[in-house]
Amino acid sequence: MNRLTLENVVIKYGDITVINDVSLRVDSGEMIFITGANGSGKSTLTKTIAGLLPISSGKITRAEKISYVPQIEEADRNFPAKVREIVLTGTQRKGKLFYSKHDKELAKRFTNALGIDGLVDSEIKTLSGGQLRRVYLARALCGEPELLLLDEPCAGLDAESHEILFKVLCEILSKGCAILMVTHDDLDLTGIKANRVIRIEGGKIHE
Amino acid sequence: MNEILELFTYQFVLRALIAGSLISVCTSVLGVVLVLKHYSLIGHGLSEIGFASLSIAAALNIPAMIISTPSVILASFVIMFVSQRYKTAGDIAIAIASSIALALGIIISSLSGSVSSTSSYLFGSVLAISQWDLVFSIVLSLVIIAAFIVFYNRLFLITYNEDYARSLGINTTFYQLLISILTALIVVLGMRIMGTLLISGVIILPAVSARKVASDFRMLVIISGVISFVAFVAGLLLSFVFNVPAGAGVIIANTLILIILKVLVK
Ligand SMILES: Nc1ncnc2c1ncn2[C@@H]1O[C@H](COP(=O)(O)OP(=O)(O)OP(=O)(O)O)[C@@H](O)[C@H]1O
Ligand SMILES: [Mg+2]
Repeated sequence: MNRLTLENVVIKYGDITVINDVSLRVDSGEMIFITGANGSGKSTLTKTIAGLLPISSGKITRAEKISYVPQIEEADRNFPAKVREIVLTGTQRKGKLFYSKHDKELAKRFTNALGIDGLVDSEIKTLSGGQLRRVYLARALCGEPELLLLDEPCAGLDAESHEILFKVLCEILSKGCAILMVTHDDLDLTGIKANRVIRIEGGKIHE
Repeated sequence: MNEILELFTYQFVLRALIAGSLISVCTSVLGVVLVLKHYSLIGHGLSEIGFASLSIAAALNIPAMIISTPSVILASFVIMFVSQRYKTAGDIAIAIASSIALALGIIISSLSGSVSSTSSYLFGSVLAISQWDLVFSIVLSLVIIAAFIVFYNRLFLITYNEDYARSLGINTTFYQLLISILTALIVVLGMRIMGTLLISGVIILPAVSARKVASDFRMLVIISGVISFVAFVAGLLLSFVFNVPAGAGVIIANTLILIILKVLVK
């Protein structure tokens, strides 16, 4: 099943074109790595697919349930909140205001899976960078996405967390989720086989 | 002491007590969202725009609410969207808009010779609360509290990270408008009792105090409301005892609470 289609998409910041006439099709169960030099437009592309940036022309057709883990979370580090509540927000969707029992089970499952179950009652300001990263990953996974967008999810994660993450990702891939992952890592080390690797260069994608 | 208790048998004092308490709780609850989203100054901006609109109403000799309610709501939208679009320019936009509005208000009331009536708005007055204000306060408070209960999870998410909310497909503009309208209405209602110069303190101070003790958002909202209520009642009493405007008494009470919490809670 189709999860994402880009048709001749152009993305600009003001007059500067970052993504120039790109087309792409992603189906369920596919794992796609996006690579490219710093500043090539990887984050711009994922942010746009997540619905946070407008496109100048072209067309994007996306699955309904998307979860996104940004490269840098633009949120107040001292915000008064506990891990549990942040993770649960990942289950919110348009028109869905309250958490069900199922949502709470999902939160429990993914905090366990990512090894942060001991931290659920901690305030987020007390977490380390890598721990917070795992909180955001758990939050995204809780949304039971049909399309998961990960912008350098491994930055700041130790080797053990990598392994744990990829185990979880394999599991959701087998259930039909499509994953788009921005990564700089040496592709052999990531421990998961990408169906496709895409390199962004000069505003175009190369497979 | 008896004289003070006797005060509460007067209709206008009772009205001020009930309306003021409700308004205080609501400003502080909204204040939590505004402070965390770095819109702390919005109350200040809106109340000065409110003051300008009150001066215009006095000059034209028409009921104040007719002009101030729509103009403050409009200003609230503008400030919120300017701050969102030009992320860093929010505080500058508020400061510029509010000082222009204040200057206009002063000019209009000087030229129209209504300085004495509009100056009571600067400091506020418990006498300003009419029967209708009381009814309006009760209705608005119920709306605000209901909104916080129904939309709690959303408000938490959007206050923490609006972009993330958008990526989940949530219409964040709706919540932004909701917060803008509620803030504008509470400012219009509250500025006449607290004073246009002081209402922003009533929005910000309880939330800042509550942050000393609250470990999560829900507690922050609740504690902020409680602190604001206590500070209002204490401030009102202070203002009777020392015969000063209520708004000033409430701000001093809030400040004392902040200092006490700062000393007690490390
Ligand atoms: N908000 C912005 N306004 C203007 N230009 C921007 C903005 N954000 C990014 N850019 C520019 O767009 C280009 C692509 O940036 P982007 O963040 O998408 O790169 P990236 O491939 O994710 O890089 P990195 O590997 O460093 O994360 C860069 O040249 C950057 O300078
Ligand atoms: Mg990037």
